[in-house]
Amino acid sequence: MRTASDTVIEFRNVSKRFRLHQGRTLREFVPALLKGHGFSEPFYALRGVSFSVARGETLGIIGRNGSGKSTILKLIAGVMAPTSGEVHVRGRISPLIEVGAGFHPDLTGRENIFMNASILGMTNREIRERFHEIVSFAELWEFVDTPVKRYSSGMYVRLGFAVAVHSDPDILLVDEVLSVGDIEFQEKCMAKMREFQRQGVTIVVVSHGLEMVREFCHRAIWLDSGHIMADGDPRHVVSEYERAALGPAPSTY
Amino acid sequence: MEQTLTPSRRTGLKADFSLPDMLPALLELWRRRELLFHMTVRHLKGQYKQSILGYAWTFVNPLSQMFILTFVFSTLIRVQTPGIPYALFLFMGLLPWNFFSASLTSATGSVAGAASLVTKVYFPREILPIAAVFTKVVDLAASSVILVGLMLYYGHPPATTTVWVPLLFLIHLIFTLGLSLPLAALNLYFHDVSFLVGVALTLWFYLTPVIYPIDIVPARYELLFNLNPNALLIEAYRRVVLQGISPGAERLLMGLAISVATFIVGYYLFKRMESGFADSI
Repeated sequence: MRTASDTVIEFRNVSKRFRLHQGRTLREFVPALLKGHGFSEPFYALRGVSFSVARGETLGIIGRNGSGKSTILKLIAGVMAPTSGEVHVRGRISPLIEVGAGFHPDLTGRENIFMNASILGMTNREIRERFHEIVSFAELWEFVDTPVKRYSSGMYVRLGFAVAVHSDPDILLVDEVLSVGDIEFQEKCMAKMREFQRQGVTIVVVSHGLEMVREFCHRAIWLDSGHIMADGDPRHVVSEYERAALGPAPSTY
Repeated sequence: MEQTLTPSRRTGLKADFSLPDMLPALLELWRRRELLFHMTVRHLKGQYKQSILGYAWTFVNPLSQMFILTFVFSTLIRVQTPGIPYALFLFMGLLPWNFFSASLTSATGSVAGAASLVTKVYFPREILPIAAVFTKVVDLAASSVILVGLMLYYGHPPATTTVWVPLLFLIHLIFTLGLSLPLAALNLYFHDVSFLVGVALTLWFYLTPVIYPIDIVPARYELLFNLNPNALLIEAYRRVVLQGISPGAERLLMGLAISVATFIVGYYLFKRMESGFADSI
């Protein structure tokens, strides 16, 4: 039986509301506010979502675009706060930063490694200790002192992934990024993630790659319009999702 | 059950930031000082990359301002600055003013400019505007070389009271940070803020004794200048460096109090708004 201390991520009845077109300019905002509708109508990205993830578990989240998958990752990463409900996360989180997000194009690979690793919470000492490993993993020794704007998109991904996986995460958040690199590097990443699985690192994957979810995840959640449609064995959840996505047109039709 | 999920280390943002969270937030900022350093270096390195003059651009702006303003206000319109060559008088005010102005401008856009990071990973967001201001501290130190050049040229060495400068600068820095923080946050909600800052700085420049001495201000407008920390600080810089007059303890404490109060309010507002940053980008 699982004890409470094994839970590293917990969502309790979490809703996330966005106000579309929030802010922008005063010219639009002030008149609207005076008329009594300063914000345009709210949009719910998540509605009353509850689930928990145990230490060492690999969770795959699937669903159409706009179903709320990325919002869940952002809530786990702590960059957003829920509108209602509670999100509890325990441990060091490492999000695989989207291609280039944390990179400054004019800085070299070396400078960006320090920058990025520091953003992820590593100390300078830790970065120096792992620098060799990071560059070797990314296979970028030749280009380590080249500004990253000269990198190919594949090299960007390699560098980003290398930094993230060497930041000692307790929880690794993966958002689609792996589809960019070449096959060989993708396999290397998968191998690294399997190593993490063996080490008991918790992994949350958002993916369109249903095959990957089926093969790699211990568990899957299918989201639609901010609701959890299914939660459980990945084979089961994926096939339900596939049935709904490819199945007959909705009954209202 | 309720106690089982106390995070071992707070990493995410706080949705309902309140006053008691101030101290932990400042401690967290101190813990992440290495990141602040990296961000500052990144700004500095990125600033003039791909330009031929590179970092030399840092000198072009104050130098050209000095030449044109000196021509206008000592040759065309004769502003009297007894005992001090006008160029030196002007530059002693221009340096701290440019620091303040460039800091506010750069900090205001700093969080919006890091949108892709802000939506992906949590780190104390105030590091972004603070790094923008620190970058301008480095620029200020570099432009001080011009001041030294002017002193040599005019044979006007700094007075011994120049030892007060670090303290004056500390007050100036705290005040600048205190204004930068809420502006950076507000700019995410209203893009007008960056334009507003531009207009406000232009007006503020003329209401600060940079190009003229504070003595020419008529008594009935004195309050306006006494409430303007930039005016008080620039006047104090000039007195300690060029005239050998120490600042009064009362004024110093007053300045420090205003700066610290501005910072506390600014930092609090920033942290209050922080939880909505990723939603607004």
